[in-house]
Amino acid sequence: MFLEQLINGITLGSIYAIVALGYTLVFGVLDIINMAHGEIFMFGAFVGLLIVSKAGAPLPVAFLGAIVVTAAMGLLLERFALRPLRTRPGASHLASLISTIGVSILLENVAHKIFGSGNHLFETPFAEISFTIGPVTVYLVQVVILLISLFLMVGLSLWLSRTRAGKALRAAAENLETAGLLGVDTNRMITATVVIASAMGGIAGVLVGMAFNYINNQIGLSMGLKGLAIIIFGGMGSVYGAMAGGLILGLSETFVVAYGSSGYRDAIAFVAIIVILLIKPQGLFGQAPAEARR
Amino acid sequence: MEWLNPYHLQVASFVLINAILGVSIYVTLSTGQLSLGNAGFMSVGAYTAALLSTQHQVPIPVGILAGSLLAGAAGILVGIPSLRLSGVYLAIATLGFGEVIRAVLINWESLTGGAVGVPAIPQMGRVTLVWARDRGFSPESLGLQSNQFISLTVFLILLLGTILTVAFFLRLSRSRVGRAYAAIRLDESAASAAGIPITYYKVLAFSQGALLSGFAGALFAHSTSFVSPGDFTYHRAVEILVFAVFGGSLHIYGPVFGAAFLTVVPEALRAVSDYRYILYGILLVLMMVFRPQGVIDPALLRRFRRSGKGTPA
Repeated sequence: MFLEQLINGITLGSIYAIVALGYTLVFGVLDIINMAHGEIFMFGAFVGLLIVSKAGAPLPVAFLGAIVVTAAMGLLLERFALRPLRTRPGASHLASLISTIGVSILLENVAHKIFGSGNHLFETPFAEISFTIGPVTVYLVQVVILLISLFLMVGLSLWLSRTRAGKALRAAAENLETAGLLGVDTNRMITATVVIASAMGGIAGVLVGMAFNYINNQIGLSMGLKGLAIIIFGGMGSVYGAMAGGLILGLSETFVVAYGSSGYRDAIAFVAIIVILLIKPQGLFGQAPAEARR
Repeated sequence: MEWLNPYHLQVASFVLINAILGVSIYVTLSTGQLSLGNAGFMSVGAYTAALLSTQHQVPIPVGILAGSLLAGAAGILVGIPSLRLSGVYLAIATLGFGEVIRAVLINWESLTGGAVGVPAIPQMGRVTLVWARDRGFSPESLGLQSNQFISLTVFLILLLGTILTVAFFLRLSRSRVGRAYAAIRLDESAASAAGIPITYYKVLAFSQGALLSGFAGALFAHSTSFVSPGDFTYHRAVEILVFAVFGGSLHIYGPVFGAAFLTVVPEALRAVSDYRYILYGILLVLMMVFRPQGVIDPALLRRFRRSGKGTPA
């Protein structure tokens, strides 16, 4: 029982971590919170659903489709909701928050018009396959989710630390202006960041569909809010904070549901951020608070 | 008296409640703090008033007062730790507060009725009608039917509440407190250097916003006679934000105008109503790109005043 819950928690946590990574990448480079990330993620889930359940295509195609659609959405988001604010001198730092809230409301309700508000069954071909190791039953879906998440996290870490583009992105995150002076094409870097973050959201969307077996137009909001909670908990802009925070939240939610009350499950994330903000406002892995950095 | 139908009056009543909500986010914003927790504070006020009147037979005005004060107290409780946060951190933390409150409302079934909500809350208009009837007054003597009288009473009470609110904060903006808010909004460090106690004023603004949200919530409970956690979701928080962003957050008339416009237009144009939130979304992006200060800003008001030749605006 305990081990099974542990595996459930890690599976859930790794999905949370992928969602949170999308937020943290954008925040790291742009210093803004992309409130539309949750809805982009939701569209990824729906594209995956259409490809797998409706068209009957294999899972890798679903991932590919979700990545293409969400990457395109990221591109549009950056072009129309973020870039115009960046070029405007003296724009308030709340402006981008509000404009991305606008995009999130727009996308959620467009999804409502297209897909309705009910639950859609997300059928994975191997949903029922499980194997037993000693007393523990593990589902193949969980293994696949874990492998994909691990692959993404390791891949992202390597890309950020080892490649030229990753270095440019980290330079941009450190200081956009200086990076620009040193020859980094910052506009391209920003676009790339938003697109990569959105594509990761798309992948996470398909993973959520696989893990929960159903999706609806509200998952963007609920998962998005949790992703936000995780990056605050783990430290804004910190890649490892997002991963650790995601795992911690996934585990604590699973165990609270298993051994406590399920009603407060969705509140855990917010209680956690309120507590962490009181004790260590910069988050678990955060650097100095925003005020001091300026 | 045909035009005075309950439907029109109800829309007008929602305009007024939304206007108070718009002012509530404006007050907090006027110190540069963005709070997305106003839907949560609104629910504190609404549930307090609703539960006091349904379970303890407390008179409505007392319930509204208690609801507002409790929401204001919650604002202080949330506001003090939130001082360590600024900008987006504060927005997310307050959003989190709203979600926690909603989780409590759904789960504390013995007190709040859970997801079903609180039904049969005494309605201000109906209570007034009974009270007037007991004293030998009949609305027919004014040429009004009972339901017209009820809606009209609600509207008038809300109008009074809104006018008092706007008048208070209009005065406040020209007082020492209002100047301090403006100074903090423009530059916190400079304001602090000039000897303005930042902590005090930021918490004050925050709890004033919370109190107003609670006030609006309590009025809402006694106008609709039914509240449920579904009334105070993230969408409500965003809606309140849209009022201030669209209308303008630099002058108190901004959110009032925003609330009025965005409540009436979807009602008047049924076709628009279906796409209400889609339009809200587009509106938020467009406003941020083209007119981040909102439709109404001090410059526009000055132009009005000049062309109006002395008409007070």
